[in-house]
Amino acid sequence: MNPLGVQDSPEPHASEYGDLSTIDRSVRIPVLIFFASATLWLVIASVFWLLTSVQMCAPNAWWTFPGVSWLTFGRSYSVFLNSFVYGWASSAGIGVGIWLVSRLCGVAARGLSLLISAAVLWNIGLGLGLLSLLAGFSNGKELLEYPSYVGFILFLALALVSFWVILTLQSRRPGPLFISQWYLVTAFLSFPWAYATANLLLSAGAAASGVSQAAIQWWYIGSLIGLWFTPICLGLAFYLVPKSVGCPIYSYNLALLGFWALLLLAGWTGMSHLIGGPLPAWMVTISIVANVLMLVPAIAVALNFHRTINGKFEVLSWDLALRFIVIGTMAYTFYSVEGAMISTRTLGRIVEFTLVTVGHTHLGLFGFISMVLFGGLYFIIPRLLDRKWLFTQLIKSHFWLSLIGFGLLLADLTVGGILQGFSLQDAKIPMNAVNDILSPFLLGQSIAVFLIVIANLGFAAAVALIFLAPSRVRKSGKIASETTLEVTVN
Amino acid sequence: MNKLNRLFFGVLVLFGASWLGMVAYPYLTFAGLQPNKDDATGEVVPTGKPGTAEQGYHVYAANGCVYCHSQVVRDKSDGSDIDREWGKRRTVARDYLFDRYIFLGASRLGTDLTNIGARQTDPQWFYRYLYNPQAFSSESVMPAHRWLFRTVKINEEPSSDAVKLDGADAPPAGYKMVPTAEGKALVNYLLSLKKNYALPEAPEPTE
Repeated sequence: MNPLGVQDSPEPHASEYGDLSTIDRSVRIPVLIFFASATLWLVIASVFWLLTSVQMCAPNAWWTFPGVSWLTFGRSYSVFLNSFVYGWASSAGIGVGIWLVSRLCGVAARGLSLLISAAVLWNIGLGLGLLSLLAGFSNGKELLEYPSYVGFILFLALALVSFWVILTLQSRRPGPLFISQWYLVTAFLSFPWAYATANLLLSAGAAASGVSQAAIQWWYIGSLIGLWFTPICLGLAFYLVPKSVGCPIYSYNLALLGFWALLLLAGWTGMSHLIGGPLPAWMVTISIVANVLMLVPAIAVALNFHRTINGKFEVLSWDLALRFIVIGTMAYTFYSVEGAMISTRTLGRIVEFTLVTVGHTHLGLFGFISMVLFGGLYFIIPRLLDRKWLFTQLIKSHFWLSLIGFGLLLADLTVGGILQGFSLQDAKIPMNAVNDILSPFLLGQSIAVFLIVIANLGFAAAVALIFLAPSRVRKSGKIASETTLEVTVN
Repeated sequence: MNKLNRLFFGVLVLFGASWLGMVAYPYLTFAGLQPNKDDATGEVVPTGKPGTAEQGYHVYAANGCVYCHSQVVRDKSDGSDIDREWGKRRTVARDYLFDRYIFLGASRLGTDLTNIGARQTDPQWFYRYLYNPQAFSSESVMPAHRWLFRTVKINEEPSSDAVKLDGADAPPAGYKMVPTAEGKALVNYLLSLKKNYALPEAPEPTE
């Protein structure tokens, strides 16, 4: 029995799009390059994640490389952040995007050379970026650390993919657009736009002056999460959830509401990180309002998925890919709820500058985005390679270890961060004492990150095994029998 | 208009609105800010940074100082920043007018550095802190930045910059520790961090 559930999923009606395996095969090379390199970047990011968290516990212990400039906390943290966000999550997201677009457009892809060049360029850019950060050429701007030439290479690669996405959409089979396509178009238009803007104005000679840099940087971060990762992950979930449980999405009007609300609001969400900062109060206020209103798309999406899966939870017992996606979309709801809470002035002024915001970022990047992407890779890779996953137990362990490790991390950072926040508010508690309060939580962070890193390595092992497996175990022809139950938008 | 074009248009208008509001508007507005001239004294603030401090920006950026240190002073109503003596008043847009790169920061595992150059004026303090932060505060999680220093023979170079280290950190007899060019640039940058002048839009709290 296939643990990831194609054969097992009910098939109410045959595919109206003919042979899905032909379409899958047409994009397999670029998508697999993106997935394989994403996995490699996840391993690199994991190593640096663990390094940075132990460096915070024991800054002087020899095994945290004190005094080695290349591996000092400030550099290894930037390597972790960028390898995770661009190396792992964005590469996997681009792969998922390409695969989804070609499937949903119902045509065998053309212009493969565009995609393969993009994949190669993207990885050259990431590799140069990694070396630049270690060697000390960082811009020092969160999530825009890569020097401008790396930014240019990455933008070029992105532009090639976006160009291909638009070309493919233009040549799609006639008919309505799926909600997933709406999300993907948004992601592939918004992200290159945001990335080009931020790089041109911030890193390339810092054209923007003074405090406007902070506005642009936070606009970029808000857009990166809200209009790049979120639409790709929701696009994937809106495609796979109905397919896996074997019935159409509960309400497409609700899906539409969630989509337009996200597109309207996400670009405005970043500035709430600057409560009390030097930007005009109205900018921060708009951002707070946007963050609170982000509950609308979050609840719309949560309700839709819940009503779709409701009563069919038994699918989760054997469909492991769906497990990851369900947990990921639940994390999206929590992420939005927490985002709305900590953006308000009352709470925001206490938790800004604390570990709470770090935990919140991880809830988005790992709990939501990475979990959905794991599910996507577990679903897609066997179909592209025409093979089965080798050890179901490995995948189950990956799931549980990720969940436990991440739960621990989030609890640790949130509780530690709240204590840190209240201590920082009280000027009678000196900074030394604040660090004292934090130290058990920094240790807890290391333990949690250790569990997550082991889980990530397990995932990488599963991917390596299926790529290197000597024989084709999966029977061909099964892919074509998948159902198409996506929600359509008229 | 077909569905795809409607979608393109939707992204252009809705995401474009946030681009206009959060990128174009601040970009154009803050570019028009002018330094403040005090009518009584004729003093113009803020001023630009000296050249060596400019180079220090890059060392600050390269080593990720911003991951733990903020450069924002908030009003009393928002936090204890002023009570912690990180600044006498909140920082406003005009304070950052001449900063080529700004590092507001999102974390305070370390202290705020907005006015560190006003609190500490001795380069030696910075050198010794960067060399061994735990000598100042045993709970500190700050990494030692020893690659910003090198050991040279005592008579090799003029010794005005030699770092005064004692105990286990002291260099071997006949040698001394001096900061590298990067180390000097970073300390010059840190020394230049002071927003301890008055601006009409951010009066010092009276109480």
